[in-house]
Amino acid sequence: MENKWSSLKEKTAPYILLSPFLFGFIIFFGYAFIRSLYFSFTDYDLFSIPNWVGIKNYINLFKEHLFATALRNSLTFAIIVTTLQTIFALLLAVVMNQKIRGIRYFRAAYYMPSVTSSIVITLIFMWMFQRQGVINYLLTIFRRYGLIIGVFLTFLVGIQLLLVVREKLRSRPVEYFEPGYIILSIILAAIITYVLKDFGIIKPIEAKAVDIFWLNTREKVPFWGGPFAFPRPLGAIMILNIWTTTPTFMILYLAGLQDIPRVLYEAADVDGATGLQKLWYITVPQLKHITFLVVTLGLIGTLQMFDQVKIIGNQAPLESTITLAYYVYQSAFPGASAPKVGMASAAAIILAVLTLTVVLIQKIFSGEGRELRD
Amino acid sequence: MKIQQNYDNDVNLKIKRRRWMNVGLIYLILLLFSVLFMGTFLFGAISSLKDNPGSWPPTLKTEQLSLKNWIGAYKLARQGGGSGFFGELKSGYKVSLEVTYKYPKGIEIQPPQIIIPKRFKGTGRTALELDREFTADFVETKPAKEIDRIPEKDGTQVSYKVIVINTSQKDFSELPLDLVVPYKVKFIKATLFPNRIERLGMVQSWNNLVSGVIPYVFHNHFRVFNENYSRSTGKRLFTTWIFNSFFICIIKVITTLIFASMAGYALARLRFYGKNTLFIFILFSMMIPGQVTFISNYLVLRDGIFGLTKLFGGGSLLNTFTGLIISGLVGASAVFIMKQFFEGLPREMEEAARIDGASTYQIFAKIMLPLAKPALGALTILTFQGVWNEFFWPLVVLTSPMDKFTLTIGLLSFKDTYASGTFDWGPILAGAIISALPVIILFIVFQRYFIEGISFSGIKG
Amino acid sequence: MKRILIILLVLSILSIFSVTSLAGVEVRIVGWGGVDQSIVEELINIFVVPELAGKGITAIYEPIVDDFQKNLINSLSAGTAGDLFYMDIFWAEYIIKAGQVEPLDDYLTKSTVISKDDIIPSLLNAFTFDGKVYGIPKDFNSLALVYNKDLFDVAGVPYPDENDTWDDLENKLAKVVEAFNGEVAGLALAPEFARFGAFAYAAGWEPFVDGKTNLMDPAFKEAFNWYTGLKEKGLGVMPADIGQGWGGGALTTEKVAAALEGAWILGFLRDNAPNLKYGATLLPKNPRTGQRGNFIYTVAWGLNANSNNKDAAFKVLEALTSPAAQQWILERGLAIPSRKALADNPYFEKDTPEAQANKIVFLGASAGNVKPFKFKEYGDQWMNPINIALSEVMSGQKTADEALEIAQEQLNELMK
Repeated sequence: MENKWSSLKEKTAPYILLSPFLFGFIIFFGYAFIRSLYFSFTDYDLFSIPNWVGIKNYINLFKEHLFATALRNSLTFAIIVTTLQTIFALLLAVVMNQKIRGIRYFRAAYYMPSVTSSIVITLIFMWMFQRQGVINYLLTIFRRYGLIIGVFLTFLVGIQLLLVVREKLRSRPVEYFEPGYIILSIILAAIITYVLKDFGIIKPIEAKAVDIFWLNTREKVPFWGGPFAFPRPLGAIMILNIWTTTPTFMILYLAGLQDIPRVLYEAADVDGATGLQKLWYITVPQLKHITFLVVTLGLIGTLQMFDQVKIIGNQAPLESTITLAYYVYQSAFPGASAPKVGMASAAAIILAVLTLTVVLIQKIFSGEGRELRD
Repeated sequence: MKIQQNYDNDVNLKIKRRRWMNVGLIYLILLLFSVLFMGTFLFGAISSLKDNPGSWPPTLKTEQLSLKNWIGAYKLARQGGGSGFFGELKSGYKVSLEVTYKYPKGIEIQPPQIIIPKRFKGTGRTALELDREFTADFVETKPAKEIDRIPEKDGTQVSYKVIVINTSQKDFSELPLDLVVPYKVKFIKATLFPNRIERLGMVQSWNNLVSGVIPYVFHNHFRVFNENYSRSTGKRLFTTWIFNSFFICIIKVITTLIFASMAGYALARLRFYGKNTLFIFILFSMMIPGQVTFISNYLVLRDGIFGLTKLFGGGSLLNTFTGLIISGLVGASAVFIMKQFFEGLPREMEEAARIDGASTYQIFAKIMLPLAKPALGALTILTFQGVWNEFFWPLVVLTSPMDKFTLTIGLLSFKDTYASGTFDWGPILAGAIISALPVIILFIVFQRYFIEGISFSGIKG
Repeated sequence: MKRILIILLVLSILSIFSVTSLAGVEVRIVGWGGVDQSIVEELINIFVVPELAGKGITAIYEPIVDDFQKNLINSLSAGTAGDLFYMDIFWAEYIIKAGQVEPLDDYLTKSTVISKDDIIPSLLNAFTFDGKVYGIPKDFNSLALVYNKDLFDVAGVPYPDENDTWDDLENKLAKVVEAFNGEVAGLALAPEFARFGAFAYAAGWEPFVDGKTNLMDPAFKEAFNWYTGLKEKGLGVMPADIGQGWGGGALTTEKVAAALEGAWILGFLRDNAPNLKYGATLLPKNPRTGQRGNFIYTVAWGLNANSNNKDAAFKVLEALTSPAAQQWILERGLAIPSRKALADNPYFEKDTPEAQANKIVFLGASAGNVKPFKFKEYGDQWMNPINIALSEVMSGQKTADEALEIAQEQLNELMK
């Protein structure tokens, strides 16, 4: 009896351990997903009983202008943001991968945007993106001091080249980005620029303040982009998003970098490889599995972008910021008309399928994906 | 031999010098990036002190951060009988403000007109306090007294002393002041810089002369707490929201830790029917955005989980913390992390315990859980951060009343409170900065766990 | 540690199933947040509680801060909506047609406190469908020309007044702009039908003729060209161009001489420009028709058709719209109530800028060609094409003809 009881206990153990999780998982994911699928074939509007309408919702969706815009915006957003944030995260990680004093504090500082909530970040960015805001002000400074900055950069590059070429002529081993020389060049270029400015040879330009509408505009950028141009407010959200998520992915890359055997770099040094070559031929291939993970997480994250659209709200025209995720919400909970739960569910299913497809495509292209399985 | 050594020294020196240069350059780059990532917060935080953070050009120069104004605010508050840091205007006390104007040639020099305005709010929840007592009805002013006159090339600089005396038996916390001068007379300086200069420069206006240094500097932050209160309960909303967010975070962290480790252990080590299928569904669910399932979840909560709540005497779970918590007891990704962690642990101890006759539950509680401390630490941080910052689901579930909001939704409501028409960026930025603080503090204290948590969940995932 | 965890778990589960109980009849009122919350709660304290406490009826106000319509529709569908709720004329039609609002005719005939005749007819008509009244208007607003007196004084130009035509106003603005060497713009011109429409109405334009909208109507074009022309001549500026979201914000910068806004601007000015010397007057008349145009913006109380306490809710509604309650609102300058009898209230004769502006807004609602601010069931979708045309012409991206042609196409598409 005792034995039977304990064997029953052992047999049910997995299910009992799983039950709290399964309770939520079945109701709030499984059931919900199936119900979304079901609603997408009905004309449900929250008030009356749903009627089966077949694939009418899907057909109507593709006829609707706003949905097309949302789909386009979502895809543009996902592709651009994922690409840029992956590249930046990798580069940032390479820079951060140093064994120097205080690196922990820098790491913490960089990670700050990732721990704060989307509403805080978006509100601060909305303030910066005002027409008379910080971003336009910085651009104004660049426009006014562009000449001076240009002169400085020209001298910087010139002096650096001069120094490196001089060393090369003496056939000494130097790199183009020799750190000592860079610092020297910065100092020299700064002195020269300062002197030139002091003598009034170069002056800040008397330019008008930059007056770019970042949010309240229907304009598309880049203007030469043709069919690939996207609304500028979406671009503003892209900047915001890249800024917040790059640090998270940087940390993933950092962890990966620490696993690369040093021997590889030492061997490359012996062969006389430059820093860029090492980055391209050792670091990037060695981090392939992390890149897969970063891109996957990036795609999943960007395709469900919602918060920023909601928070910016009427500060930007809806067509300029709407994404699929927001379209779903907006159709289910519209303002002044009937809730279109059927349409919303159909769009939701398309969003789900799109996410899965994109992840799958990138899995095929990268030839990776074991990570997700094991 | 000697030559060789010299050469070695030379090379060593060169390598050393090069390394130092290298480090210097890296620090430079790291600093530049810090400006990029931290600068936004700092700029926002500093601007949240300003009277008008939307002013052009957006500089870091802030009247609220100038030593001169601190001294001015301190002096005035002391004169009013307050502590200097927190001021007031006590009965019988006298406050005197020095102010300097420049009168251009051709404009008659006459002292500014002194007005103690009766201001009441036009919008927001304080707009109805029409019948309250105004300081203006209880204080006396004297005509401004000229104390200095400096002739200049194109006009005259004249300084005046403005004196306000509280002749009543009451104490006041506020002393607003307006000074009016003719058109084209230029305001130069004052003991305390005015909060606004209006009407083509004719009016200099102070919100509160005797506020004291701290309310003067953190004026917008005080507004965030003081102007948002529930009229039905009198509670301060912003404090309530912070408390709500903490409450929900703590509950969800606890449920996540317990349930995720239970489920994770079962998935990692136990055999049962449908294990692989379940795991694939978990992976699948991690890719599906919340917007796909929210309509059904909304309806489920609306109907009280298929009417189950009726058994407990409750109704709809919308607008309740119960609804918010019960729909997110444990996330699939948390289970996933715990599963990956348990799989990485060695099996020996477990097998030894099994031979000793320990049950699954005992093994889980006595052996596996203690071993899982690092993973649980990372999970705590990740869950806390995730729940604290959660936006979409609380937005759907919590709509009314306002004292049910979490901090994120409360902050969104600031857009309604302070941005109907024109953005009053002061309190919006102040609110944003304050609500970021708990997570930032938590992050600074547990920095290591945060970063480990991310790389842990990433690598293992 | 384990024990603490278990206790916490039990506590959390207990808190999850904590029970709230109800007693007596509680009427739930749902409306906007912000100042409305203060007003309605104050009304409840002063007028509802003394009247109904003895009858076992209590009232509670539940403000909704974000996206009121969305929340209302959701809660109506969930059956959790309040018994009384705000209905803005702009979107009321949808929920009324969805059968969610109780017709009030029977209640009104029985009532001793309020009848149909007490309410300003144009307001009541806005909430009447198929001969049935679905909402009791609580207050209303219209547009006024609000101007900055200092700028006119310094420039030595007389203030705008109610006899001005479009041309007179234009002349006055031109003089002010000239006196300040162009550093001050004349009129804040929001590129929105919500402001411009008043001028189209003044020119005699009808938004719907036989269910269609005609933007090619000469009257419409006349108003369109005048409105956008002000910008072109440098006599007007879009609020966004001076970093502001609307006319009120533009006024506080002292960079515009006047703006077109309703009484909602008054509270805003109190907060953001407490010392601004402003005046208000009726919108100028179209020189050709001699008429003014205007919008009526109004919000009504609606009674939830699925409420369990309809009679109690109507009692609360009576208390909220009683003559005493409406007088209280008016005398504090909080809103302009909807009862006809209040037209002669001494408040309107007060010499404060706020009282004067409120009076202008009150008069504006019946001066000339005035229409409620609603566009059949189309709402924003109807206004959007016109708004885009206005903003594109005023920012110089398109000519008036190009922009209107596109807008007309979109409207045809919408209304086919």
